[in-house]
Amino acid sequence: MFYKHSRRTAAAVAATAATILVLAGCAGSGPAATEGGSEFDPDAEVTVNFTWWGNDDRAAKYTEAIALFEEKYPNVTVNGTFTDFPAYWEKRTTEAAGGGLPDVMQFDYSQMDSFGSRGLLYNLTPEYGVNIDVDAIPETALSVGDIDGESYALIAGTNAWAMFQDETLLESIGVDPYEGGSSWEDYYEWIGEVTAKGGGEITGAADPTQRIQNFELALRQDGGNLYTDEGELGFDEDDLTEFWESAADIREGDITPQQRIEELFPVSGFGANIAASELTWDNFGAGYLADSGKSVDDIVLTTPPTSDDSAKDLYLKPAMLLAMSAKTEVGAAGAKLIDFLTNDPEVGKIFGASRGIPASETQRDGAELSGQDAAVLAYEESITDRLGDAPPLPPEGAASIEATFWDLGKSIDLGAVEVDDAVKQFFAEAEITLNN
Amino acid sequence: MTTTHRQESHTAAPLGSGSSGPTGSARRAGGRPRLSEKKRDGIAGYLFLTPWLIGFFVLTLGPMLISLYLAFTKYNLFTAPEFIGLDNFTRMFNDPQFMQSVQITLTYVLVGTPIKLAAALGVAMLLNYRSRGTGFFRSAFYAPSLIGASVSVAIVWRAMFNSDGPVDTGLNVLGIDVGGWVGNPALVMPMMILLAVWQFGAPMVIFLAGLKQIPGELYEAADVDGAGSWRKFRSVTLPMLSPVIFFNLLLEMIGAFQIFASAFIISSGTGGPAGSTNFYTVYLYQRAFGDLQMGYASAMAWLLLVVVGIAAFVLFRTSKFWVHYGGDLK
Repeated sequence: MFYKHSRRTAAAVAATAATILVLAGCAGSGPAATEGGSEFDPDAEVTVNFTWWGNDDRAAKYTEAIALFEEKYPNVTVNGTFTDFPAYWEKRTTEAAGGGLPDVMQFDYSQMDSFGSRGLLYNLTPEYGVNIDVDAIPETALSVGDIDGESYALIAGTNAWAMFQDETLLESIGVDPYEGGSSWEDYYEWIGEVTAKGGGEITGAADPTQRIQNFELALRQDGGNLYTDEGELGFDEDDLTEFWESAADIREGDITPQQRIEELFPVSGFGANIAASELTWDNFGAGYLADSGKSVDDIVLTTPPTSDDSAKDLYLKPAMLLAMSAKTEVGAAGAKLIDFLTNDPEVGKIFGASRGIPASETQRDGAELSGQDAAVLAYEESITDRLGDAPPLPPEGAASIEATFWDLGKSIDLGAVEVDDAVKQFFAEAEITLNN
Repeated sequence: MTTTHRQESHTAAPLGSGSSGPTGSARRAGGRPRLSEKKRDGIAGYLFLTPWLIGFFVLTLGPMLISLYLAFTKYNLFTAPEFIGLDNFTRMFNDPQFMQSVQITLTYVLVGTPIKLAAALGVAMLLNYRSRGTGFFRSAFYAPSLIGASVSVAIVWRAMFNSDGPVDTGLNVLGIDVGGWVGNPALVMPMMILLAVWQFGAPMVIFLAGLKQIPGELYEAADVDGAGSWRKFRSVTLPMLSPVIFFNLLLEMIGAFQIFASAFIISSGTGGPAGSTNFYTVYLYQRAFGDLQMGYASAMAWLLLVVVGIAAFVLFRTSKFWVHYGGDLK
C-alpha cells in the first residue's frame, strides 16, 4: 500500500521538480531591452514590484501616486513596499546577491557604484524618449545617473546641505538666529550663547563635527573632497584630527548633551525641540515638522558656515533616483512607472519637495510648491553662488564609512574615546571598507 | 497498536493477493524484491521526515558549511569570495570594536545568567508553597517571558529608562539622580541585564517542576534533625535540584551568548551609545549586512559557535563535581 503511494509521490515530486525547472528556465530568458527601448503593450496584464525607503508620510504619498498611475495604465498593477533607510540597503544587497531585486527601486547616489558597476541595474538609456520623457530634466541633473556614458538611474529630485533653525524657539530665549555663511567660529560662539540662555532646556546644536557632510564642507572650502576620483579617501589623519579638535571648546557644555541625543535617536535634537539649529539636507524639513510639531513658520533655512565665503563648497545632490533591476521582466511598464513618478505634475503636487526639489521642470511647475517646500526651493536658488561641481561618485562602502564617522563622533562626545584614537580607528575601518 | 496493525497486514497479505495464491511469493521474488516490514517502516519514517531533512540540509547544514568556507575568504556578496586564509581571524584581535563586543557579551553572560537563575529559583520557591492564588502568580510571573522577546517590550524598556521616564523619576524620588540609562554607556549594561532577568519565566517553570519532585520526607527528616530553613535549602533543595540547575544554566548561558533582538532594538541597530550595546551578534550583524563583510562575519559566527561549544563542554565536565542525580552515591 505504502509502496504504491511512495511511487506516486515520487512521480509527483519529479513532476513538480520538472515544473520548477521549466519555470526557472523561463525566468532566465525574460525579454531583454532592445536597442530602441521596450514596447509598452496596453493590453498585457503586468505586475510591477516597486520599493522605496522612507516614513509613513512618504508611504501615504506613494500610495496616492501609485493609484493615479494605475488609473492611467489599468493593465499595470504596482506592488509597493517600503522600509527605513538602513534596512532598505540590507535588503537590497541580499536580494542582489540572490538575483531577486524588485523591478523598480527608489535609489540613492551613494549606492550607484555598488550596484550600477556590477550590472545589477537596467540600462535606462534606450528607454529615454520612448517610455521615459527626459526633455524636462536638465542635462547636468540627468547625467548623475550615468556610469560609463549609459544611464542606470533617473534623478527624481535634488537637495543640498543646509542649516535649519527654529526661530520661535530662539525668540523665546531672546537670541537672534545665526546669520548663516559666516565662519565656523561665529557659529560655535552662537551655539554657546543659545545654550547659555537656554537654561538647560534649549541648546544651540548637537556637535556638528559628528556629521561627515560638515567635514566634507570643510574639505571643500579648502578645495578638497571626501573621496578622490579613484575612490580613495581625499584627506589624511591630520585633517580629521584638526576637524574633530575644532569643536573641543563647544564640546564642554555648549552642545546638546550626547546622552540626550542617544535617548532620542532616531529623532534628532532639533526634531525634539531641544536644539535650536541643525545642519542637514534641506529636504528634511517635512520630517522635522512631523517630529517636532513645529509649524512651517517656526523654521528657517540658512546657509551653513564657511571658512571662505568665496568657496564653492555646496553642491546639488540627487536626493533620490529611480532605477530598475537588470533582471526585471516588466521592461516598458517599469519604465512608464519611472516616467510617471518623475514627470507627472500631479505626482509633483503629492510629494512637494519631500523627495527633494523635483528635477523635472514639468513636475516642479505642477508641484506648486508652497510653505516649507517653497522655502527649500528658495534656499536652493539662494545658494547659487556657493554651488560647486558635484564631488566624484562616492565609492562602494561610502555609506558604511559615513556611519563609522558618525558613531565615532558620538563616542567622542560621550567621552568614550579620545580624538586621536577615534582618528586611528576611523582610518583602520575605512581602509578595510574601501578594500572590501 | 503497531503490533495489531502488523498482525492484520500479515494475515491480510495472502487474502489481498488472492488469485496469486502460493505462487505469489515466488513471483515477487522473481520481480521486485519484497521489502521486510522493518525496512518498509524505516523508509516510511524517513519519507515522513523528508520535509524536516530537506529543511535541515538546505537551510541549516548547507549554509553552515558555506559560512565555514566564507570564514576564510573576503566576500562582499557581489564579487566572488577571495580566499585569504586566516586573515579574518587575526583581524579580530586587532579590532577594537570586536574586543569591546566580546567584553560586553561576556559580562552579560557571566553577570546576567546567574542573576536571572537566582531570581527564577527564588520566585519558584515562593510559588512552591501551597497558598491561594498560586495559579495566578505563576501565570503573572511567566507572562514577561512570553512577551519578552518581542519588539514592543524592548521599545517599552527603552521608554522606561529614558530621562524623565518612570525609572528616572522613581530614582529621583529616592534621591538618586543618575539621569536616563539609555543614553549613558555606563548604565546600559545594567539595563540590559535587568531586561533579561525580568524574563525569568522559562527557568522558573522548570525549577518549579524540579522542586515538586523533591520528596517531602527528606525535609521531614531534616526537620527531625533540627535543620533550619537555610540548612534545608543548602543540604536538601540545592543538591536535589542540581540536575535542573545544570539544565537551566546550560540553556540560559547559550541563550545569553546569542542576545540580539533587545540590544538591536534598544540601540536602534547602532550598538550605541559608544558601542555599549554592541553585543557579539549585533556587531556580527552590522559587519555582515551593514558593511557587507560576509567573510569576517562568518568567521565571527564560527568563533562564537566554537566558544559556546567549549563553554558547554566545560560546564558538562564540571557537572560531575556538583550535579547529583538520583541514586548517586555521593
